[in-house]
Formats: sequence, structure tokens, C-alpha cells
Amino acid sequence: MEHDYPEQPGWVRLPGYEEDPRYPHGADYPGDYRRGAGARVSGVRRVRQASNWTAALLIAGVAAATGYFAHHAPPAAPATSGVTSVPGGTAATGAHKPSLSGPVATTSGSGVTVRTGPGGTRIVSYRDN
Amino acid sequence: MAAMGPGYRDWRPADVGATAVGVAERDALGTTARVVVWPPNWTGRVLAAVDAELALLDKQASRFRDDSEISRLHRALTLPADIGEAPLRRSGIVSEGLAEAISVALAAAEWTGGLVDPTVGGALIGLGYDRDFAALPQGQAREAAPPGPGYVPGWQSVRLDGRRLRLAAGVRLDLGATAKGLGSDRAARAAADCAPGGGVLVSLGGDIAVAGEAPLGGWPVLVSDEADQHGREPAVHGARQVYAPEEPPGQLVRLAAGALATSSVRCRQWQRGGRTLHHIVDPRTGLPAAGPWRMVSVAAANCAEANAAATAAIVAGEQAAGWLTAQGLPARLGARDGSVCLLSGWPAAVGGLVTVPATARMPAAPSGRRDGTGRPPEDFSRPARPDRVR
Repeated sequence: MEHDYPEQPGWVRLPGYEEDPRYPHGADYPGDYRRGAGARVSGVRRVRQASNWTAALLIAGVAAATGYFAHHAPPAAPATSGVTSVPGGTAATGAHKPSLSGPVATTSGSGVTVRTGPGGTRIVSYRDN
Repeated sequence: MAAMGPGYRDWRPADVGATAVGVAERDALGTTARVVVWPPNWTGRVLAAVDAELALLDKQASRFRDDSEISRLHRALTLPADIGEAPLRRSGIVSEGLAEAISVALAAAEWTGGLVDPTVGGALIGLGYDRDFAALPQGQAREAAPPGPGYVPGWQSVRLDGRRLRLAAGVRLDLGATAKGLGSDRAARAAADCAPGGGVLVSLGGDIAVAGEAPLGGWPVLVSDEADQHGREPAVHGARQVYAPEEPPGQLVRLAAGALATSSVRCRQWQRGGRTLHHIVDPRTGLPAAGPWRMVSVAAANCAEANAAATAAIVAGEQAAGWLTAQGLPARLGARDGSVCLLSGWPAAVGGLVTVPATARMPAAPSGRRDGTGRPPEDFSRPARPDRVR
């Protein structure tokens, strides 16, 4: 197997490194072992390269997806008409803005208040404020 | 409207002909408080938040409550008015809430050149407005003698440094020109926090603040005129106004942000010495303002500012239009003769959107004036002890 790291002073190879256990150090290796070792080394290299490419593609994919969703996030409250009933205790996300026609409050020096009475009649009351 | 649940019995549901909002009213701060909420499901918790703010403001700033912080402060810090150069007597520590209310009042005084002045309290008492308005006897003269000018020491006689307050002798604070607006601002902010994604409108006697998301096109608000004393309906200078026969005279406008407040000399009136008096005192004379305007509505970034500007315009009289225009505040001024003047982009059309300035014109606090005193201040933010009341 190829060295992964440069040899460093003081490093000691583990017993059996680059040796086939069937052929201890000093014995003659048959020719097919050499071929097998070469194929193993190249196979390991291909697998390692493939892993590196896979990792790079994964990183690039995640980055691209993050960027996409950051710029195309769905709105929290889509603008449509009508009023959605929201259960108490939950946020009004998704609730729709109401459209009001008549006055809901009055500003006046005399505290005029307007409310709707029976039959839709408009009741105007005055109070000092 | 949505059920308000237990604990909100003081609030009455109000029907405005729309189910998309929750509307409730109650008596508060000597006037009527109205809260409008969407979605209506939030109404209960919004009312609770508004209740807390109103109760706090009442305990802090009401001069009609004997146990309020400002009443205790008056008893302790002030002596009977001695006209002339009144020396600074004592200082005290007030609560953060009252300090804010006084700070806003002083900022309004500085901003308006003294046209609104929190030291008119003594003059109001002298004129007869010495209790909650509902408790004042109406329709009859309380005193035979005509009123004389009240003593207004001037807002410069009040020193506020953080929570430390110093008052000159005889100074009686009345925060009426800003406190209701401040209360609306506080309540609207607190209410909006309880209605995430929705919107709220808080009105204290017609001083309106909105927060959160407004309904489509804005909150519809009626700026209500009263027919003048001769029964004439208002006419509009430079704009056409249409009133439905069943509607009270006024103008429907829409408010999407900020605040809208109205001051009027036609409300809170009482009789004394054969004269009809009202609650807006001109600090320059110590008497009720006597300008040409009977009611002024102003839109602003916040309700304290709108409230102060509307009151200042009543007092300013002929100079009101120029001052409001210089401030860039949309305003609607109703004259005593029934005519109406629209300023600074106030919509002429019925149902028009009032475009509120994005930023406040009134400073958040008066320009700093630090002072010193050798006497340890008394803390008025704590409940009064009987031996401390003098």
C-alpha cells in the first residue's frame, strides 16, 4: 500500500506492513501477489477519490439548497381575503387581514361612540371625555 | 365578538357591525376606553394586557385619586402656592412609569414652546376642575364669582433627572395633555404583543393608538364633529365632505399606523360665575383657551405627540395652522364658526388614509437639565405610609 504520510524520523512500521502473511519477510513472493497488491492499491485510490468527490458534491448541494431556500422562503402570512379563525394560544400566522367598512372607533372632543344596534341601526352616543 | 371570559367583566362588548374584529369598551381614567382586536380570538388576553397598563397609569398619574403616586407626591413636595419666584423646595424619587409620564409632559411643553404645560394643575383646580369630571356638578354654577386667572408656574419649574423629581412650591402637575395619549401608546404596544400577527387599536376617550398589522386599508375611524351651538354642521375649506343623513357630522378616515388624537373645547365644560369653562387652560393666561378652534384632530407617530399637538393647536389659536404645518403633522381643525381646515396631507375624501409621519416630531424627553440638591430624595414610587403623608 502506498504511504499515506511521508516517513517521519522515529516512526516504526508495524509488523507485517506491506507483507502478505503467507509470505513472511525474506520469502519469495509469487508474481500474482504483486499483481494483486497493485490492483488493491489502485482500487483503494479509486474508492478514496470517489469518497472525496462525493463529499464535495454533498457540500456543494447543501450550500446550493441553503441559498435557494434563503431567497425563496414561503411567506409567513399569505395575503388573501377573509379572516381565519385562529385557536386561542397560537400565533395568527396565516390569518388574513380583515376588511372593515364602518368606523370601529371615534375620535372627538365629546367622546362620541358609534355602535350598531338591533336591526342594524346605528346608535350614536355622546359622552364627555 | 369573541367571548372575553371571566376576569373581564368590566369590559362590554361593542357591536360595530363587523365580526372580523373583537371590540370592547370600559370606563377607565375618567373616560371610555375602547379596544379593537383582530383576529378576535385574541381579545381576552389583549384586554388583560390593556387592563394592566390602564391600572398602572391610573395609579401613577391620576390627580383625582387620593392614593395615586402623583397625589402623594403633590402632598409631600408642594406647599401652598406663593406667587412669584418660587424656590425649589424638595425632591423625590418617582416610579419609572411616572417619570416617563412627566418626562413626556415636559418634552411636550418644550416642543410646543409652553403651549401645553403640565403645571396648569393649580389653575384647573382654581377654575373648578378639582375632581373627576363625572363628579363635577353639571348644568349649574358651582361658584357665583367669575373665575380669575389661575397661577401657572411654568414647566421650567419642574426638574426631572432620571427618576428624581423636584417641584417648586405650589406646583400642581396635570398631565392631561399627554397622559391619555401615553396610555394609549403603552396599551397598544402591550396589546400588540398579545396578538402576534394581528393588530390592535386602543382608544382612550378618542385618543387612538394602533399597533401590529392594520386591517386592509387601515382602521376606519370617525372623526366626529358636533354641530356647533347654533346647530350648524361643519363646512370644509377646499374640500368636499359628504355626510350620510344617519351619520353624525364628521369624517371617516383610515389609520394604518401611528396615532390620532382630538382635543376640544366643547367637552368637559362646566359653569362658573355665569361663564362656561372648559379644561384646556392657556398657560399664558391661566384661563381656558379662547382661540378660534373648537376641536382639533392630529395624526402623529405616537399618541402622546398627537395629543400634545392637538391641545397645543387649541391654545395656539390663530398660529395653530402655521405651527402644525411646520411640524408636518396631518391635522383637521374645526372652527367655532363650523368651518373645517385640513392641513399637511389630511385626506379631504371621506374614508381617506391619514398618512402619519414615520418618525416622531416631539423629542422623547426634554433636553437635559441636571440639578443637584443636598437633601436625600424621598421615594414616592413605593406605597405611602400614613406617617409619610403630610
